[in-house]
Amino acid sequence: MKRPSVITATNLVKRYGTLEVVKGINFSVPAGQCFGLLGPNGAGKSTTMRMIMGLSEVSSGELEVFGESASAMSREVKAKIGLVPQESNLDPDITVLENLVAFGRYFALSKSIIDQRSKKLLDFMQLNDKKFAPVNALSGGMKRRLTIARALIGDPEMVILDEPTTGLDPQARVLIWKQLTELKKDGRTLLLTTHYMDEAQRLCDQIVVIDSGMILDQGTPDELIARHVKGFVFEVQKPNLAASPENRWEQEDIGDSVLYFVDDTAEFIADLPEEAIYLHRPANLEDVFLRLTGRKLREN
Amino acid sequence: MKMPESVYVLAVYDRQYRVFRKLLGSSLVSNVANPILFLFAFGFGMGSFIDTMSGMSYLTFVVAGMIGYSAAFAASFETSIGAFTRYFLQKNWDAILSTPVTLAELMMGEILWASVKALFSAICVLIVGWLWGGVPTSFEPLIALPIVFLGAICFSCAGLVATAYAKGYEFFSYFFTFWVTPMFVFCGVFFDIGRFPDVIQYFAWFFPMTHLVAAIRPLTAGTEVGVTAILLHTGYIIAFSVAAFWIAHRKLRQRLYD
Repeated sequence: MKRPSVITATNLVKRYGTLEVVKGINFSVPAGQCFGLLGPNGAGKSTTMRMIMGLSEVSSGELEVFGESASAMSREVKAKIGLVPQESNLDPDITVLENLVAFGRYFALSKSIIDQRSKKLLDFMQLNDKKFAPVNALSGGMKRRLTIARALIGDPEMVILDEPTTGLDPQARVLIWKQLTELKKDGRTLLLTTHYMDEAQRLCDQIVVIDSGMILDQGTPDELIARHVKGFVFEVQKPNLAASPENRWEQEDIGDSVLYFVDDTAEFIADLPEEAIYLHRPANLEDVFLRLTGRKLREN
Repeated sequence: MKMPESVYVLAVYDRQYRVFRKLLGSSLVSNVANPILFLFAFGFGMGSFIDTMSGMSYLTFVVAGMIGYSAAFAASFETSIGAFTRYFLQKNWDAILSTPVTLAELMMGEILWASVKALFSAICVLIVGWLWGGVPTSFEPLIALPIVFLGAICFSCAGLVATAYAKGYEFFSYFFTFWVTPMFVFCGVFFDIGRFPDVIQYFAWFFPMTHLVAAIRPLTAGTEVGVTAILLHTGYIIAFSVAAFWIAHRKLRQRLYD
């Protein structure tokens, strides 16, 4: 059964002057799934998300959100979306609870609904003890939890999360993962960007990998792994490499060592010299990501 | 563009009111104590050297000016440095614009709150002025208050223009030097502008402050009230507000959306 799409992008382009940052991408986000938008810094993820929120104009192509054009979204559609931005923009002048109340009012909710939901959300995000604390007294993890709670005050059908766990400690990440999984169980659609491939692998049903404004590939995490890397990865230190000619094994030179992507571990180990030093692990999304987007640093 | 709806404007207003209740102390000091200090210094201090100004006691003259100025200062501060902080530093506006609230509603909420706060300052000055005998009329000042409120809306809109164009806090030194301070010195707050050369008078009438003070002074001082004049002054204030709102909205749209 094909699920209806919540977001559909068709030849979506974003230009700033002559600079094209999103270069005609096509994807659709099915309802009730977690959809991951992965890519290095500057790939066009945030621009795409801003276009989905209606905060950035579409230069050409089409972008539909809940069946409406993103550039002319009605209030009803806007109210179906909850945004968790990358940078905290919580209101520092008021308390944790008041942040939820103020946001509820921006969604034009009644007082009784706001009271009821903020209570539930404080429980859900484990912030009940901090209810009356000013935002500045919260730790990074608490702030992020509050930002997620705030995004849920309008009971959104879709939650957009821009790097929800960046900079958090493992405990905080695990809690957020657990609650995001809960949201999915409720039938909400999640659109997620992240730099953590373990996070994407754990949460996402569908993944799109973009770089330089173009889609490199899309599919389920398993499909992507099967397509781009074999089942296992051997990281073999130079100079004792596999004996067979280079074209026998799929490989990538990463400097001090060589990565081999292989299906049959026994056969490969037999091909290694006795004195070879290597690490052996199942292939993961990080391998896919690095194979697709390359290893070059993006910051410069 | 969506038609603004009051429920969203009031949501933005409500947030400001919540913060105000917490920071009541500092808000009161800057918006109420400040003009009262001026009133005291000029009304009683300087007033003892000046017999009359425009045919009224100097204290009476200066009360009308200070009512206008306190409203102008409170409104201008709130929608310039105050709003810029929420927009630029706290990213509060980004958060609000990710909800069903539109930019126009966000701006209206900011303006409404700034104007209510400004009116509150003006009322305090009026009460102090009345207690000290600077308001010889009875009910007429109550007619002045809606005009003060319109003036406050105008100053709030102008403050948002500054916020829309500001790249950093330094920008507001221009705003205060070339907009707020002239309203203090050229617009009939402390002396009759009729003594200025013509050129400066034209310049003064550009500022909505001059119109506001000219409209409310007869009402608080108990001199002859010219209805046509009040309507003209009010009309100018409204026209100025509409123009400023339009400019601020256009620029902020460019900056907040891309």
